[in-house]
Parts: sequence; structure tokens; C-alpha cells
Amino acid sequence: MVAARTRLEIATENLANVSTDGFRRIDARGFLTALGVTIARRTSGEGGALRHTGRDFDLAILGRGAFRVRDSAGRVSETRAGGFIREADGTLHDCRGRVVLGLHGALRVPSGGIVDARALGLPPASRVRSGFLEGPAVDAIAEMIDVLSAERSFESAEKAVAAIDATRQKSADTARVK
Amino acid sequence: MDRALFAAASGMAAQQRNLDTIADNLANAGVVGFKGSAQSFAELIAPGGQGLGTVALGSRVLFAQGKLARSGGPFDLAIDGPGFFTVVDGRGRRLYTRDGAFSRSADGTLRNAADYRLAGITIPRDALTVTVGGDGSVRATFAVGARMLGRIRLAEFAAPEHLRPLDGAVFAATPESGGARDVTAGSPDGPKLDFGMLEESNVTIIDAMMQILTAQRAYEANAKGVQAADEMLRIANNLQRG
Repeated sequence: MVAARTRLEIATENLANVSTDGFRRIDARGFLTALGVTIARRTSGEGGALRHTGRDFDLAILGRGAFRVRDSAGRVSETRAGGFIREADGTLHDCRGRVVLGLHGALRVPSGGIVDARALGLPPASRVRSGFLEGPAVDAIAEMIDVLSAERSFESAEKAVAAIDATRQKSADTARVK
Repeated sequence: MDRALFAAASGMAAQQRNLDTIADNLANAGVVGFKGSAQSFAELIAPGGQGLGTVALGSRVLFAQGKLARSGGPFDLAIDGPGFFTVVDGRGRRLYTRDGAFSRSADGTLRNAADYRLAGITIPRDALTVTVGGDGSVRATFAVGARMLGRIRLAEFAAPEHLRPLDGAVFAATPESGGARDVTAGSPDGPKLDFGMLEESNVTIIDAMMQILTAQRAYEANAKGVQAADEMLRIANNLQRG
């Protein structure tokens, strides 16, 4: 039942992000252990489809790598979501207000300039495409099926628990009679 | 299960906001100079690194060029390229718009439908015809001869995406957008003014309809997630009695 619950959590999480740009699907992997089934979470490596937006600072990465962004508290994180806004001082910010980092500190783009993959510190084979966004890599239909199957396997697990409980009840009753 | 419920509910809330934005775009699809908005979403992550669903971060205006269409108005102007017309409202505030459907009012100024006055140009009472060149120069012909009246200047911003929309087509400057910078139309890589044309909204009805369908289905899918989590909670609660 715990495994089914974890699967439902993962499926709803994926479904919730069905519109989040740059989101990578979370895969649920089941393993048999001595204590039953456990579910491991793993972020899928599969990228979403590119969507044309026409904005200069909507950037999609073709290939590996991610944008490095720094929040106001100084924490650096990586993201594939490339919907950026150019500020008056030439730096790029994402929609959470985090600044985009280049090779040396915050990336600065001159007015009318473009962003290239090398300045962002991406792997050599990767390229950046302006005017496109990487859409979410979530298949709503597959996630819906996961929600349903998690619900059903929860139900069957419940039946198994009920059956085990009934068996124990019976043996307890038998012991009392004798 | 609480996490599943919460994640699915966050998805519903985010799609609700998305639908609001799309509906607003759709409602203004016919407004001259209107700029559509798009909602952005981000994954919600707990400090431990576990996902908690999604959050709608707010909408941002998309300043993509709208289609230019020939129109009948005698003072219709469209900007081909970046930049805004500077208009002045009734209280003297400077605002910026790409809606160029102006008409000549009794005091000689050019005003748009919202009664905002185009800054910098006044047309004398005795002017017979007025033409505007691609560089913004305004020429008028009179009963005797012709004369240049002035030049329409366009405003540009260092960070136009931080402009505050007052309605879909009129914007106010903010500290983040920077101050307005004068640009002259007609320079080789700058904007160009088209006289007798209007810029249509940059929202296409078909795109907006597709977005509505997608958002609706995403909302439904998340609602099903809530139902499934609820059903599992019910089963768990009934275990004792089973």
C-alpha cells in the first residue's frame, strides 16, 4: 500500500507540472526488497518538445547541460527552463527573479545582443536556440494511467491486508474455543 | 497521500490562473495594439528536494509584433519594429502604447479612442491634409503650400518586459523598466512608422483556443488526481472495519 501511495504521489506531481516549461518527468521504479516493494524516484533524462515563442530571450538548450541560476540568497541551481527577461543593466533573470550565470558571474547581454552556448558554460556539443522554450516532458495520458493503476493496486493491497487480518482473526477465535 | 492531494490541487490552481490569462488574451484578440500575456509555471520543491507540485508565477506580457493591416483612418499609425508611441493621459501622465488609431480632435491634437493625446504633435486648424513619413516626420498641406509640422518620436525601454500594463495595450514605465529613451523611426535597424496602417493584437484566436483546450484538460487530469488520492484515503480509513 505504501508503494501504491508513492506511485500516486509521483504521478500527481508529474500531472501538476504538465504546463511547467523545462520540467523533467519523475520516473517511478519499483524494486522488490525483503520488506516488499519500494519505489525509487528518478528524474527522467528525456527533454520536452521545443515550442516556438518568438521572444529573443526565450532560450532552449539543444543537447546536454542546463542554465545555472543564482537566487537572491546566493544559492545556485540548474534549470532547463529558459524563459528569461533582460533587465535594464543587461543581466538576464528567470521568472522567479533568479539571475542567469555565465562563465564568470552573472551573464550580461548587450542591447540587441544574443546569448551563445559558450558564454553560458554549456558542454561543447550543446547549442542554444533563441525564440524557443523547452516544454514540459510529461505525457498526461501516461500519468493518468499511472494514477488509475496506483489506485487499483492500492485497492488490491487493501484486500490482501483485509484477508490477512481475517485469517488472523479466525486463528485467534479458534484458539479461544479450544 | 497528503502530498498527492496537495500536488494535484496545486496543479488545478495553476491551470485556473492559466485559464484566466488565456481568457483575457482571447477577450482582447480584436483590440488594436494589444499584447497578449503568458502564464509561467515552476515546480514546487520542498527543502528536502521532493516535489510538491506546481505554482503559477504570474503572467508576463509578450511584446511580439502584431500583424500590420491597412486601415481606413486618416491618422492611423503602426510601428514596424520595437518601440512605443508616447501618449499623455488626462492627468498629464506619460504612458506608452502601440495602439496607433489616432484621430484629430477639436484642439488640434491627435487622440486615440481612450482620449490619450499623442505627445509632441499639434495640427493647425487650417491644415488640409496630413501625411506621416516612415521616419515619423509629419507634413501638412495648406491652402497655400506645405510645411513640416514636427516629428513623432518613439520611446524605447532598456527592459520593456517590466512595463506595467494599464490595460492590454497601454503601459506605464516602472523603475525596473528604466526610463523612456527617444528613438527616431526610420533608421536602418530601428523601427519604422507605417502611415495608414494599424497593428493588430498579437493574439491569434486559434492559438488561444488551443491553449484553452490544453489548460482545461490539464485541469481535469489534476482533478482526477485529487479524486484518486481521496479514494485511497477512504480505503485506508475503512481498513479497520474491513
